[in-house]
Order: sequence, then structure tokens, then C-alpha cells
Amino acid sequence: MMQGVTVITVRGLTMQFGAQRALDNLDIAIPPGVTGLVGANGAGKTTLMSIVLGLREATSGTVEVLGMDPKSLGSRIRARVGYAPERNVLPEDMKAVDFVRHLSEVRGLPRDEARNRASDSLWLVGLGEERFRAIGTMSTGQRQRVKLAQAIAADPKLVLLDEPTDGLDPMQRDQMLALIRQINDEFGIDVLLSSHLLEEVERVCDHVVALDAGRLVADGPLADLIGGNEGVELELVDIADRPHSIDDVASSLAASGLDVTRDGAVLTVVGPDTDVLADAARDAVAEHGARIRRLSSRKRTLEDLFMEQS
Amino acid sequence: MSDEAIILDRGYRSYEGHRSGVGGAIRSVTWHSIRNVLGIGRLARHKVFPAVSVIIAYLPALIFVGIAALFPVDLVGEDVLPSYADYVGFIGIAIVLFCGLVAPEVLVRDRRDGMLGLYLSTPLQRDTYLVAKVAAVMGTLMIVTLGPPLLLLIAYTFEGSGPGGIADWLVLFLRIVASGVAISAIFAAVSLAASSLTDRRAFASVGVILVLLGSSAVVSSLVEAAEMSTNLRLFDLLAMPFELVQRIYGEPGDFPEIETTWVVGANVGWTLFGASVMWLRYRRLAVSR
Repeated sequence: MMQGVTVITVRGLTMQFGAQRALDNLDIAIPPGVTGLVGANGAGKTTLMSIVLGLREATSGTVEVLGMDPKSLGSRIRARVGYAPERNVLPEDMKAVDFVRHLSEVRGLPRDEARNRASDSLWLVGLGEERFRAIGTMSTGQRQRVKLAQAIAADPKLVLLDEPTDGLDPMQRDQMLALIRQINDEFGIDVLLSSHLLEEVERVCDHVVALDAGRLVADGPLADLIGGNEGVELELVDIADRPHSIDDVASSLAASGLDVTRDGAVLTVVGPDTDVLADAARDAVAEHGARIRRLSSRKRTLEDLFMEQS
Repeated sequence: MSDEAIILDRGYRSYEGHRSGVGGAIRSVTWHSIRNVLGIGRLARHKVFPAVSVIIAYLPALIFVGIAALFPVDLVGEDVLPSYADYVGFIGIAIVLFCGLVAPEVLVRDRRDGMLGLYLSTPLQRDTYLVAKVAAVMGTLMIVTLGPPLLLLIAYTFEGSGPGGIADWLVLFLRIVASGVAISAIFAAVSLAASSLTDRRAFASVGVILVLLGSSAVVSSLVEAAEMSTNLRLFDLLAMPFELVQRIYGEPGDFPEIETTWVVGANVGWTLFGASVMWLRYRRLAVSR
């Protein structure tokens, strides 16, 4: 996908560290919205983010951020890009509001505006009452929110969030993901969210870029990548007097044009409509006198995508 | 509630106003770094060392001002009250200690805690980041290199024991400023170079002090004990800046056998060398996040 409005465009991007190729000839077009940059640790996510930010120079290829070339207009781009790194970079003995204000000033806001927007951002991320506390006294969840607040305080067009849910408990993770969705929905800030947790990317992102060992595994709208392939899982029981019943059910479903895979007594049937699949499975079981232990809907996930592509 | 009272619901919103760009970023990082070094807005323990250094630097000046106020200058004379040129050497230990504190705090901390990566994700680049850090170190060092002589000048002027006329006053003022800026630049370059080579503040502090005191000790040994050429003094990183101050005030200094041109050249050389070491180190430094 290389057409339409994009916030980040990457063409033929390669990054070589000695003998190791961290990024391998990537062509990516990231549209407005919330985009998940997914992959296992070492897949090249942070390297790609570093290049987008201008912290590293690629071995070859080109990058465009907000329609500008980071090589010639790096400062202008970075004034409109917020960044929350994975690493804990927060000065322990500084008040949250002072830290956010300082980074806003560095990103170009006048002093008074930076002060006001630091408070506004901390209120937005739920730290309004805590904004005068030293960061060193804050919990991991609060620190992650401070990092998000500093990234958005200078009103960026785009924010890059590197593992923003790292170290959070499930409730804090839900809140952080809701905040990320909110800053795009309500304030129109585009987000590039780097994460190795596929499930959270599925929950919050419109678009997904998946990397594996520096190679592009998938790039497209989330709905296109996983949405049209839901399915059902059918666990049958081996019956002594009908030894071929499971095979018969699988063959029957496959003969109906459905995508069926078998793993022991478990049949996975993939297709566009779960209800139709469930009906077909039920009919096939009845036809061949098989016995069901479990019939459950099964949503195709990014993990499936990874398993197929890797 | 009056009729004029309104409730402003600010909330997060977009900003379309002016952005200061790289210049504003440099100013902000410079000021932030100076505040950090001085412990402003930080816990009390961070204020102790800078406060002690500043007290060591200013206390003699305050005492001399007091002496000049209590006793006629003719009576106490130059034997008690040091010249402006001598005063900087008088507080040399405070300057060295301050160097050991300032540059490591300003430079090493950002690398160690990851703030460098965050700064480089803003309009700052490596070069402009270093400009901000050099300005912060020089600005902080000038508190002890420039402030006390200026205090003496102003106090002596009010006490009636300052320079004779406006022209003399201005010349002296310019000499104070020039020597303060020069000595700050040299010590900033040397201490920043040493601080750029390690990610540990304690090592950097010890390194800065060792470079300054060690070079002085080695050179003195070679010149005095081994009777080698006095030109080796040009490699004395502690003595040369103070020698330059003497020359700026038009005094022969401690090493009159070395020409002023060489003294100036050595100081310029060491400043450029220190700045180059730091710049090369940061040019090659891998910053990923």
C-alpha cells in the first residue's frame, strides 16, 4: 500500500549493523490513525522508530515523516512529533509537571503555554492531582502516563509510543490503551504504537505493520488482515463404532468449500461468517453421527497471521 | 460571585501559536541544565555541593569587601587585598571542585538515564544539544569565575576604592568579563571532554579533577625536579588558564618566561582539543532510544 495520505512513508529501507541486517528492504506506508508496529523483541521495531525520529541514519532507502524528509527537515519534523521511549527516562527527583513543561519548551512552546499545556496533558492522562509529585515517588503506571503526557503536551501531529504498556497490570493496560485511542479519536493525533503484545494492538489499532527479524510480514488495515477470517473450533469425540466420523465431518465441511484444518480431534473451520460456519459444522456432525465435545467461535488473530507468515 | 466571574475549562486542545524552534530548545535545555546543577527545584541534598563551592568562591570576596569597608585601603594595602587577577587564582580550588561537579552533572546524567535520546527526538540535534550543554557548563562556571571579581568591582566602587575614572572602570570591567569567560571556556572544554568519555558521574568527576590536578603535578615535577624546559608549562591544564587571566590583566604572571602569545595559544588549543574530543565522542555515540 503506497497510495493515499500517509504520515510515514518508508521505501527500500535497510539497516545493517555489521553483519546483522536489522531492517531488510522495507516498503511501508503508514496512514493517519492508530498504527501498531508489532513484532517480537529484536524484530526491528525500535530501530525503525529510531530512523523515523532521525536518531539513526539508515544504511539505504528513504523515509518521509509528515511529508518531510528527516535528513533535511529533521528539526521541523521533530517539533511536531512526540515520542515516549520504552526505557524509563524520567528524572526521579523532578516534579511531573516540571518535566512535561520542560520537554514542551524544548519542542518549541513558549514558557507560559508550556506550563499550561503540561498541566492540561497531565490532567488528560489522569495525573492532574498528582502533577506536583516527584516522578521518583510514582508507580510504574503513573510513570508511563507521564511519558505519554510529555509526548502529547506540545500538540504533536504524530506520536511514537514504544511499548507504552510495559510493566502495567491489566487494569492499567486497559486505561493506557483507552487513552491512546482517545488522543487519536478526540484530538486527531496520529499514533505509531510499538508493541510485542499482539492482543493489545488488535484492541486499539486501525492499521498494523508487522515485522519479523527485520522483514515486513504484514502491512495493512487491521480489518483486512484479520477481520474477514473468523471461524469456529469444533472438538469431536472419537467413537469406537464410528472410527472415521471425524474424518467424515472434516471431508464434508471441506467439500462444502470451507477451509478446514485438523489437529487430532479438533477441527478448525475458517470463513467469513461465524454463524454460517457453526450451522455447517452442526449439519456435518449430524449427518455423520459424530459426537461434539465443544463448539466455539474462533476469531483469527494477529498471532495467526504471524504463524502463517513467519 | 461577581458578574465578571467566568469559569475557564481549559482541557487539552490543539496549539496553533508560535514555536521557538531550535533556538528555544537550546535555551530551555541550557536553563534546565543550570537549574539541575545548582539543585534548583531538586531535593536539598542536590543543593549542598554547589552551595559549598559557591560559598568558597564568594566568601573571600565578601571578607575583602568588609576589610576594605572597615579599614582605609591605604592602611591595609595590596598585601591584604589581592588584585583582581590574583583573586581568580585565590579561589582556584573552588573552580576545580565546581568543574568536577558541573560537567559530569550536565553531560553524563542525560546519557545514563536516557534523556539524551528523548532530547534528540525534539528539534535538537547532536550539535545543537552540545551547544546547549556547553552554554550550561560555561554559564554555571561563570558563577564562580566571573561573579566574585564583579562583586569586588561593584563593592569597591561603592566604597570609593574602585578604579579612578570611567575609562579605567570600563577597562577593568572588560578585563573581568574577558578573564571570566576565557577561564570558563577552557575549564568547560576540558571537563566536558573528560565527562564525555564515561557514563558514570563519579568517574567523570574524579576524571575531571585528576586531569586538572594531575597535569599540573606531572608538569611541575618535570620542570622543577627534572629541570626540563619551562615551555612544558603549556601542558599544565590547571596553571595555564590562571596564567591567561594574569596576562589579560596585563600582569607578568607566574611564568613570565613564557610569552603571552604562547599562553593564549595553549589555552585556545586546549579549548579546541577538549571541544573536539566531546564532539567526536557524541558524533559516534549510538543513541537508539
